[in-house]
Amino acid sequence: MQFDSQTHRFTDPGPFARIMLLAGIAGLALSAVGYFVDARQFFFSWLVAFTFWTTIGLGGLFITMVHHLTGATWSVVVRRIGEALMCALPWMALFAIPVLLGIGVLYEWTDPEAVAGSEMLSRKAGYLNIPFFVIRTVFYFAVWILLARLLAMKSLAQDAGWDDKRAHSLLTVSGPGMIAFALTVTFAAFDWLMSLQPLWYSTIYGLWFFGGAATSVMAMFAVTVSAIQAKGALTDVITPEHRHDIGKLMFAFLVFWGYMHLSQYLLIWYANLPEETAFYKMRWGAGWTAMSWILVAGGFVVPFILLMARGPKRGRSTLAAFAIWLLLMHWVDLYWNIMPALHEQTVILSWMDLTTMAGVGGFFLFFFWRWLTRHPLIPVTDPKLAASIRLVSG
Amino acid sequence: MGNGTEHVNPTTETAKSAPAAASNGNPSFHDVSATISGIVERRDTPLWWWIAFGISATMTLGLLVQIAWLFWTGIGIWGNNIPVGWGFPIVNFVFWVGIGHAGTLISAILFLLRQRWRTSINRFAEAMTIFAVICAGLFPAIHVGRVWAIYWMFPLPNQMEMWPNFRSALMWDVFAVGTYFTASVLFWYTGLVPDWATLRDRARGWRQKVYGILALGWRGGNRQWKHYEMAYLLLAGVATPLVLSVHSVVSTDFATSMVFGWHSTIFPPYFVAGAIFSGFGMVTTLAILARALYPPVRDFMTLDTFDKMAKILMLTGMMVGYAYIIEFFTAWYSGNEYEQYVFINRAFGPYAVSYWIMFACNVIVPQLFWSKKLRRSLPVLFIASILVNVGMWFERFVIVISLHRDFLPSSWEMFKPTAFDIGFLAGSFGLFLTLFLLFLRFVPMVAMAEVKGVLPQADPHANGHHDRGGKEGGR
Repeated sequence: MQFDSQTHRFTDPGPFARIMLLAGIAGLALSAVGYFVDARQFFFSWLVAFTFWTTIGLGGLFITMVHHLTGATWSVVVRRIGEALMCALPWMALFAIPVLLGIGVLYEWTDPEAVAGSEMLSRKAGYLNIPFFVIRTVFYFAVWILLARLLAMKSLAQDAGWDDKRAHSLLTVSGPGMIAFALTVTFAAFDWLMSLQPLWYSTIYGLWFFGGAATSVMAMFAVTVSAIQAKGALTDVITPEHRHDIGKLMFAFLVFWGYMHLSQYLLIWYANLPEETAFYKMRWGAGWTAMSWILVAGGFVVPFILLMARGPKRGRSTLAAFAIWLLLMHWVDLYWNIMPALHEQTVILSWMDLTTMAGVGGFFLFFFWRWLTRHPLIPVTDPKLAASIRLVSG
Repeated sequence: MGNGTEHVNPTTETAKSAPAAASNGNPSFHDVSATISGIVERRDTPLWWWIAFGISATMTLGLLVQIAWLFWTGIGIWGNNIPVGWGFPIVNFVFWVGIGHAGTLISAILFLLRQRWRTSINRFAEAMTIFAVICAGLFPAIHVGRVWAIYWMFPLPNQMEMWPNFRSALMWDVFAVGTYFTASVLFWYTGLVPDWATLRDRARGWRQKVYGILALGWRGGNRQWKHYEMAYLLLAGVATPLVLSVHSVVSTDFATSMVFGWHSTIFPPYFVAGAIFSGFGMVTTLAILARALYPPVRDFMTLDTFDKMAKILMLTGMMVGYAYIIEFFTAWYSGNEYEQYVFINRAFGPYAVSYWIMFACNVIVPQLFWSKKLRRSLPVLFIASILVNVGMWFERFVIVISLHRDFLPSSWEMFKPTAFDIGFLAGSFGLFLTLFLLFLRFVPMVAMAEVKGVLPQADPHANGHHDRGGKEGGR
């Protein structure tokens, strides 16, 4: 892997993309076999993998829009990472197809008999029905892809020569874009995940989903920065100050995510209404208790305490280690939200959980890395670039 | 003149954007001290101040008289009754606690986010926080009915072996608001110490002694600054979770119940967003007034500052709007007819007017601020900021008043506020304004040391050599 510090590009992107592509192909092939072994397991595993990588792409879109809306300076040097992540979203649309194909397996409300037999489900049929669900999923991706493409194209066009008008147009896309983002992400969470238990509902669910996406995207920033610096790229451009800021935001979003989980749990526990506690009852007792504890301790308490310090956020390897741990916990979080609909009694890990993650993730990382290495790693013409490099945050 | 006068706060917020305070010309350190201290030091209190103080102090006295009557008669003088057991007092409580949040957001979160423009309004906003929390704390205290037993809310060891019910969200309120008040006062006072020293060094005679005591022995040495800045950073870190926790706990007063329309998991973040929204509304209102009445502070509270405050109003207004939409949708999605009825009744029932006032003021009015011109127009901003607080008061009213139709139609009853309800609300505004006017008169309303710290000449690399750069950065 070679990096040219004049053009800020990799002259030789190295074997990473090839390895990821191979992992993706192998993962998809094995998962396809899995479909014939156990279709139910395949679809649920797929849903976990699909939402995991989609939320990271969505996080990239979010952080890019926040960058433009706030006019931030510090993030200029790492902005391309967010852009590369959001540019993998169109490929995630392709991976939504198995979710739509498996809709009858995944979602109880698609069964006409179950709906006819349940007063509550038939009341929801106006929203929870197959055609509307498909239309919505297509619509969400249309919005996300449109926003990602607009923002990426304009940002890349700046590399040829900075244009203040174009910079302003990034802002005008991001404003309404953020509103569209908030609503589509919320309803995507309702559709894809909350409707797995169609009688259960929680108004905070969209914010929980967003919290996971935001934490994971900062984790991806940390891992990517660490990876490219390990290859000798941008070592004097991205400094401990930038890692510190990435770490601080990762910490802040982690707390936000924990706060969403706590708000949901506390209020449902307190009111103790059977229609709501059903969600936690499924995740407590039998085989799920241990995983709930892993989520509480590993997903929040331990990283919260350790990441509070300054050192771990500034060190390249320590930050990357925490980031990888939090990505793992993001997977646990999604698994914990999705899988009880399949394995009600206990956690049954399947080899398909691994192959679908490799299949979807291999392609996601392939496209992410390809985008990142095909373009300059930093927005070379950005007038705030010099100030961003010299950041002193303390 | 001692060494306290020209305190520079050298490393606080070493960010990049041009300091808002310096955008109207470039005041020297001395100009900052002279302008801000001058407001406190002048002997001739302006006439408008006496008039405003007279009115608000009268309203405060009116409040005290009403409280006396309340204790004498009982809470029956208010409109509270079954089924609306919680009327104006809780509405006012939540309203005032919410107002406070902007101060903490500005002083703590914007500090951590390196937003240097906050230096011109943070003192002001933090003072508002403290006074708003005082007004808020009043309402639950006088609403307990048996006011002589109010100390039962505190976990005091006592002979009766009676302890507060720690599982009650109302008890959590006592702790949350108590913590919030303590932290806010400490944070505010810590920020004030260098400024008291500046006043001390400029004063003579007994004033110097008073300011000297308030300055706690501040000399402005390097070591003091080093400790001071670490303390400030840590207090900002401590105050940051309080921005979220206090109003989250307030929201649990409603959300832990099994009352439809109240029991909603989005309540904690939704209340926090609303609190920051209303608080920014109040800061904006007060800052525009202060700017009009004290022309010298115009150099500090610039249009750029207001532009940014308008953006935060728009952002938090839309967060509140998000919550309204999601709540309404989920009420339908729940399939639960009671839940659905509450929301339909809010929007189209007998109190529909308050719902639509809430919606218009909180969701539609902030949309004005898409326009840069309107964000920088003080008359528009002034009216909008007042409407925001009208809207936020009605939001709490809408939530509380939805009790008027509960599960049993036979027990439905309308809520009618009495003259005392209005009187207590007005009285709380009187108390708030009285405290605020005293603050404007006796305390430096802009954090002098912090403003100096963000002036260009405070940057050791400002003169081009070894440029850390980015004076033009930010936006």
